[in-house]
Amino acid sequence: MRLPTGPAIPLLRRSLLSGLLLLGACAVGDAPRGAGLQYYESADPASLDPALSSDVQSGEMVALLFDNLVRFDVDAKLEPGLARRWESDSSGTVYTFHLRTDARFHDGRRIDARAVRASLLRALDPASKSGRQWPLFPIEGAREYASGKSARVPGIHVPDDSTIVFTLTEPLNIFPKLLAMPVAAVVPGAPPPGFGQAPVGSGPWRFVSWSHDDAIVLARNPAYWGGAPKADSLVVRIIPEALTQGAEYETGNLSVVEIPFGETQRWEMARPQELQHRPALRDLFIAMNTTRGPLRDVRVRRALNLGTDVATLLRTQMAGRGVRAAGAIPPGIVGYDSTRAPYPWDTAGARRLLREAGYPNGFSVRLWRSQRAELARVAQSVQQDLGLLGIRVEIVERDAPSVRATVRNGEADLYLGDWWADYPDPENFTYPLFHSSNKGTGGNYAFLSDSSLDAMIIRARSTPDTLEKERLSRAIDARVFDLAPWIFLWFPIDIWAVQPDVKGWRIPAVFTGQRWIGVERVR
Amino acid sequence: MSRFLLTRLALLVPTLLGVLIVTFLLLYVAPGDPVQAMVGERADPETIARLRAELHLDDPLPTQFVRYVGGVVRGDLGTSYITHRQILDDLLHRFPATLQLAGAAMLFAALTGISVGIYGSWRPGGFVDRASALGAYLGVSFPVYWVGLLLILVFAVTFRWLPPSGARGPLYLILPALALGMRSVAFLSRMTRAAMQEVLQSDYVRTARAKGLGEGRVVLRHAFRNALLPVVTVLGLDFGSYLTGSILTETIFSWPGVGRYVLTAIEKRDLPAVQGSILFLSLVFVLVNLVTDMVYARVDPRVAYD
Repeated sequence: MRLPTGPAIPLLRRSLLSGLLLLGACAVGDAPRGAGLQYYESADPASLDPALSSDVQSGEMVALLFDNLVRFDVDAKLEPGLARRWESDSSGTVYTFHLRTDARFHDGRRIDARAVRASLLRALDPASKSGRQWPLFPIEGAREYASGKSARVPGIHVPDDSTIVFTLTEPLNIFPKLLAMPVAAVVPGAPPPGFGQAPVGSGPWRFVSWSHDDAIVLARNPAYWGGAPKADSLVVRIIPEALTQGAEYETGNLSVVEIPFGETQRWEMARPQELQHRPALRDLFIAMNTTRGPLRDVRVRRALNLGTDVATLLRTQMAGRGVRAAGAIPPGIVGYDSTRAPYPWDTAGARRLLREAGYPNGFSVRLWRSQRAELARVAQSVQQDLGLLGIRVEIVERDAPSVRATVRNGEADLYLGDWWADYPDPENFTYPLFHSSNKGTGGNYAFLSDSSLDAMIIRARSTPDTLEKERLSRAIDARVFDLAPWIFLWFPIDIWAVQPDVKGWRIPAVFTGQRWIGVERVR
Repeated sequence: MSRFLLTRLALLVPTLLGVLIVTFLLLYVAPGDPVQAMVGERADPETIARLRAELHLDDPLPTQFVRYVGGVVRGDLGTSYITHRQILDDLLHRFPATLQLAGAAMLFAALTGISVGIYGSWRPGGFVDRASALGAYLGVSFPVYWVGLLLILVFAVTFRWLPPSGARGPLYLILPALALGMRSVAFLSRMTRAAMQEVLQSDYVRTARAKGLGEGRVVLRHAFRNALLPVVTVLGLDFGSYLTGSILTETIFSWPGVGRYVLTAIEKRDLPAVQGSILFLSLVFVLVNLVTDMVYARVDPRVAYD
């Protein structure tokens, strides 16, 4: 007997091919389509419990499942949520919210002011193990309650079923915006253990199931007070790899997809009519630690700004997906000043400043960055530019926790990073990033300490006068630009693709701003 | 055999204790703070201090270690800092997916690799042999993430035959199994071919042929069985490493297995999740090796452990 030779191979190949074809036909037939929408997250959310949501993924899911007193629309405008309207007193420390009476949790229970208070207290309770309570700390007594020093929060008062009054420790005009953050989402009283795994909310979407690292399935809440979603279901797949996300979109399995920076040109060529652009409320920057070595000198910091060819970098490496930054407040936020010119690329000027500061031959610094591919090109380009000034930049690439620890401990000279808006307000781009009380963990990675800047930042966040706030925010941003605690790079532009049959979806300006209510598939 | 099994099982305890100590120390010296990951981008020092105290992170290292081992002995791998879920539950929830993928990849690798290897050794220098040499060379050279993306591009995006990623049925298993198993196909085919070539030269094969046995019987029953030992070694090692998570394959194909769980835990410095996963996966790896050793004895009666 001989083993089969010759014709057996093509036969095998033929049967394999037809087998694959058969399987392929099933695959296409089985693909979930119809009235449902498909979204994705790049990582499994930590939890669906608002008290535990400290990551973007959790925050986005919480916005679909729950309601806050107030919320952001897709353009990041603050709009009524569970509260129909709200007002503050003349001192700016007492905020009164008037609740709507038709809101119910998905299990049918009514939402009244007592439920809102109970929910906020739960988020503050040390037993909830929340790591993200700071948005509630302006409330009088909240900080003490959270640290277990006090058994009550005097700053939350419920005069009747439909009114809740907050007393703050100091005037704070951004307070309503803080209440739109995920941690302030309202949960039903006494949630059972495992609530974060199978939550009951009140939002436009009802929780159906969650298979970790695979998908979260949501169904429309037909009784939603704000109008039921147009689609029947929203499946949120967990897809970590950006190129796989693109493939899923191209095969029709995702309703929308974000286009990574490296893929911009391909998508602009292949599917221009499906793309949406939106300047993100996001800064890309290199923070210079103003307490370390030569970087203490403002002339050196300005020299680094002058010595970096940001325009070429943005055009060649980032496909022009950004607005040059001349400050930290991005376009679309009060206080952004489009008339201020960014630092030009001026190596002669940079050398002169370095000479004046006593570093005619440059110096050595370390630039820390995490492993995001987007940042690699930026770091290398800046290294090359600064090399022309004699500044020797050593790039240190580590995983995000290592970089974060080093930067927050003040051990990094330069830090290439970004900052996303939690809420759309100039305060979010000034107080955490540059106020001296926020050095390190708070967000002030440059360890900047400037008393006049501090004073302006505090005035801007406490004044009830919106015109005064705008004027101050502009002045703060100008001062920041002048002090040059960062190498100012750009405000990135988001690009998303939307399936031609998906209508009503727009890129949200803040991550909680897209609730998928008016989105539908049109055949 | 049973004494051998008992000894090996008893040896598990010091092995796993060693794994525990090494992981614990490594995580302790690694930079990065779990609490910083818990609180996100913006936090106040008070919250950080409170969480550190609640998690006993400020206790002396030996105290932390003893507390952890105490939990492990009771079968408690602890709770994740980030998700606040039981780590053992999360691992057990994901392990079936990993088992499926590893099984499919090994099945594909074993069927393809061994048949190509046998055929190549039977007709050395023939077309199949030379093609398989080239294939093996490419198979070990191309990184799995590149092959994975290529497979998605060709079979999912261009031809639309298979879904790009996810885990919703047998069809979803094909591409990741191909990508993951490819390296094993290469190894197995070369290993089988080498072992078979040696055996096919031996006297008993000539005797078998001289007796007038059919060629299929000679090759598959007489020769292959004796060439099986090194093949079993490769199978066991690869299966063990696939079972302990294939981070790249799982990431590219959005496959919900333990590899991605470990990766997320490391990225977020979720210390108990990292420790628990490593302990769990070490146990799996050691057990697979044990099974491989027992298969040796089954394959070759000359291998006796007692």
